Amino acid sequence: MESRVLKPVLAVYCAAFILFLYGPMIVLAILSFQGAGGGPQFPIIEWSTYWYQHLLGLTPPGRITQLPIGDALLRSLTLAFMTTIVSTVLGVMTAQGFRTRFKGSGIVFYLVILGMIVPGVLVGLGMALFSNMAGVARAWWGTAFVLHVVYTFPFAFLVMLAILNRFDRSVEEASLSLGVSPAQTFRRVTFPMIFPGVLSAMLFSFTLSYDEFSRTLFTSGRELTLPLTIYGTFSVEIYPNIFAFGVLTTLFSFTLLAIYALLMLRAVRKGQAFKGQEAEA
Amino acid sequence: MLALNSVSRRYGETVALDRLSVAVPADSYVSVLGASGSGKTTLLRIIAGFEEPDAGTVTLDDKRLDGVPPHRRDIGFVFQNFALFPHLSVGDNIAYGLRYREHAPITDAGEVAHRVNDIIRLVGLEGLASRKVSAISGGQRQRVALARTLVTEPRIVLLDEPLGALDANLRERMCDELRHIRQRLKVTFLHVTGSETEALLMGDIVAVLSRGTIAQFAPASTLFSAPRSADVARHLNAYNILSGTMEGGRFRSPAAAFPLPAPSSARDGTPVEVALRFDRISVRPADTAGDAVLRARFITSEFTGSSVLSFFRTEDGQLVQVVSHLSGPVPETYAKDEVYSLAFDPAEIVPFFERAA
Amino acid sequence: MEIADNRPAASGFAESQGSSSPAQKREREERRRALFLVTPGIAWMTLFMVLPLVMVVYVSFWTQTTFTVEPTLTIESWQRFLSSSTYLSATWTTVRIWAIVLVSTLLIGYPVALFIGLFVRNQTLQTALLVICVIPFWTSFLIRVIAWRPMLGTEGAINMILINLGIIDTPLTTLLFSEFAVLVGMTQIYCVFMVGPITFMLSRIDPSIIEAARDLGAGFGRIFFKIILPLSLPGVVVGAIFVSVMVLGEFATAASLSGRKVNLLGNIIVSQVGSLKWAFASVAGVILTIIIAIVITVMLRVVNLRKEM
Repeated sequence: MESRVLKPVLAVYCAAFILFLYGPMIVLAILSFQGAGGGPQFPIIEWSTYWYQHLLGLTPPGRITQLPIGDALLRSLTLAFMTTIVSTVLGVMTAQGFRTRFKGSGIVFYLVILGMIVPGVLVGLGMALFSNMAGVARAWWGTAFVLHVVYTFPFAFLVMLAILNRFDRSVEEASLSLGVSPAQTFRRVTFPMIFPGVLSAMLFSFTLSYDEFSRTLFTSGRELTLPLTIYGTFSVEIYPNIFAFGVLTTLFSFTLLAIYALLMLRAVRKGQAFKGQEAEA
Repeated sequence: MLALNSVSRRYGETVALDRLSVAVPADSYVSVLGASGSGKTTLLRIIAGFEEPDAGTVTLDDKRLDGVPPHRRDIGFVFQNFALFPHLSVGDNIAYGLRYREHAPITDAGEVAHRVNDIIRLVGLEGLASRKVSAISGGQRQRVALARTLVTEPRIVLLDEPLGALDANLRERMCDELRHIRQRLKVTFLHVTGSETEALLMGDIVAVLSRGTIAQFAPASTLFSAPRSADVARHLNAYNILSGTMEGGRFRSPAAAFPLPAPSSARDGTPVEVALRFDRISVRPADTAGDAVLRARFITSEFTGSSVLSFFRTEDGQLVQVVSHLSGPVPETYAKDEVYSLAFDPAEIVPFFERAA
Repeated sequence: MEIADNRPAASGFAESQGSSSPAQKREREERRRALFLVTPGIAWMTLFMVLPLVMVVYVSFWTQTTFTVEPTLTIESWQRFLSSSTYLSATWTTVRIWAIVLVSTLLIGYPVALFIGLFVRNQTLQTALLVICVIPFWTSFLIRVIAWRPMLGTEGAINMILINLGIIDTPLTTLLFSEFAVLVGMTQIYCVFMVGPITFMLSRIDPSIIEAARDLGAGFGRIFFKIILPLSLPGVVVGAIFVSVMVLGEFATAASLSGRKVNLLGNIIVSQVGSLKWAFASVAGVILTIIIAIVITVMLRVVNLRKEM
């Protein structure tokens, strides 16, 4: 009977929590439609898409400079793409290696996991010092890129490890017994079957890298990535153009998520056979 | 001929195979009978090359197999759970080996289609080639698994409890078909199973696997009528095993004493086990006299279609099973906890001396 | 059973058969393949994570001049750090903010996890609620931080609502650019990392256990403290580790919402690097590492995760 009271109370609490999570973003979205003369706060002097136009450089030049997002966006996307490819390949390889027991696998596991635990400022600082000493110029496609992989590779690895742990080895053995080499077996059987996992690993890597800034801060050199451009506004006064930017990037993320969902749906539909087979066995 | 010579395999403390030797003749159907945990699967996996032995050798036609990677052994494997490729259609599952194998892959699409069609007809999967493997029944999956293996024409096909995942009706039909297919293709089948009926029905030769080694390797009929040890007899699930000692050339236990079929020179007090077939015992009233009689209390009966299986317990707690066929005179019904005399012909007894200790 | 060698380990057994039994060869081959597969990952992590971290420790002992560091070893930077009230107070602030955020994420997150994990038994609804909690992560972290400015500002949403409701007459000025703002921002951003693992552990509790306890007359309080809380403890620890690691390495939230009133070790590192005081930044980095290592070690002591997960 206590739970009869408790459940609705918790439900209301949970709703309040969701409001707490979403509140700031909702306010931000509302304020992104502030009029040309309005500031980053209430009241809304006039509803308009002025700041969106400002962001895209469609407004006449005024007191407030345009956010330098064009090149930064391109850099961030390229960086995220590079990171995704490398960390997914590393993640799949390492997880595949972990299917065999070998001495020191515990240490290797923690070494990889450490990549997602170590604070970004620390590795960022370390990499900056390292490149100073080694005389390597810092660049987003070099020093920052390798750190992005350090950060996203553990996620890709964990996703793949979870997938491969549930993988039915007999399917691969069946392929071998038909005379197909291990390499071909991986290509024709293992990979198609773990593809949904690979897709998840890629999604993880891409979004983490795309949003990463604490590792990039000290290592990207003079050319900034998108998050660093936003970070740059922290120290100065902000304007609603950054709100408009927030809304647009969120929409972009959702598009990405939708693409992932579609691909996943297709992959799962293909893979359903496997589940059916397991249930029968 | 496939030969295993003193093959051992051990996982930590457990011994799966213990110096196992066996020779499987070419063009034969050999079934391997073993309880779960007897090392059946390990045996197949070692032959297929998914695992290697700790010691001993595996040869096929006098060529060493151990150490050769599985995809170069030319040995087919049909898995208990079928292990079909879930992302491929039935036809692509079957064509898989032909297309992608390392040695002599077939690149001509027409040739692949031709061979796939042949095998589809052989296993009876006509019209299903374009189906997804998730959209076919268990029996059909079994056929896909078999067709996929057979189409690559391996030298030996290993079947790991291939009928285990099927229901009883289907199992019976598949039994016939498996034998049939094998005879047409003239390839050796090594069929592992935990079911004695399946093993005896399928195999030209049956190998009984017990404690990691082959306890008996003989044609099905020989095996059934003359098990070589009590252990083998137990696997057949058709014999009561009684243990006792020798006394004056006769078998003696707390519950019974009777002569053995052949005079034995064994000294008095030698432990001995005897096997007594379920269907060679007749149930008589308690006061029936005779030389070969066991007195036991009736526990319960089970009807198993064409026969009745009755359970009795002797004074010293030994369980005795009796099968009476319904085709004979209508069986009496026995009274629970009543004592009966179980009579048999001493000539039918199979005695074992070695393992009795 | 009658195998001559009875040494317990499998490897011991194989050795007694001579150095190249087929099983051993195969094992070696597989191990070599595995090592080949994991080597690139190990190399990457060693080169680009371990080495830089070692570098931080090393440089913390270098000699700092006005605009550069020299590899002459000294403990001068350490002495300056440990005798400066600014840096010590930053260390203290870091620990304090971490502790408060940890407690607040736990207190705010636990009931949510309790609801989603234990009270919602419908799988679809459970997943939907979790997805709702995760969706905000699709907005850039920095945007989520900035979003608190129009919420908490003097002319922000909260002040506006409170004034319209007649609760206050003049806007509260202490909401934004204060430690409070940092705490609220961090709690909101990191709370979900607490909710997730706890929900996971709670959803694994067999409802029949709670049913049975209720049948035996146990009240909810008793059930909670005797059954639910202990079973969810591994989730709490995992969540706490997530939150701790992220909060301790933070600098952006403080930079954006505190108006430079809150300086964490992360902020110290950023500002020192900005003024090319590499040795100093390194000292702060090493101290940060030590704090994180202590926190994680203590937390792992509380619950043996390997056993529980």
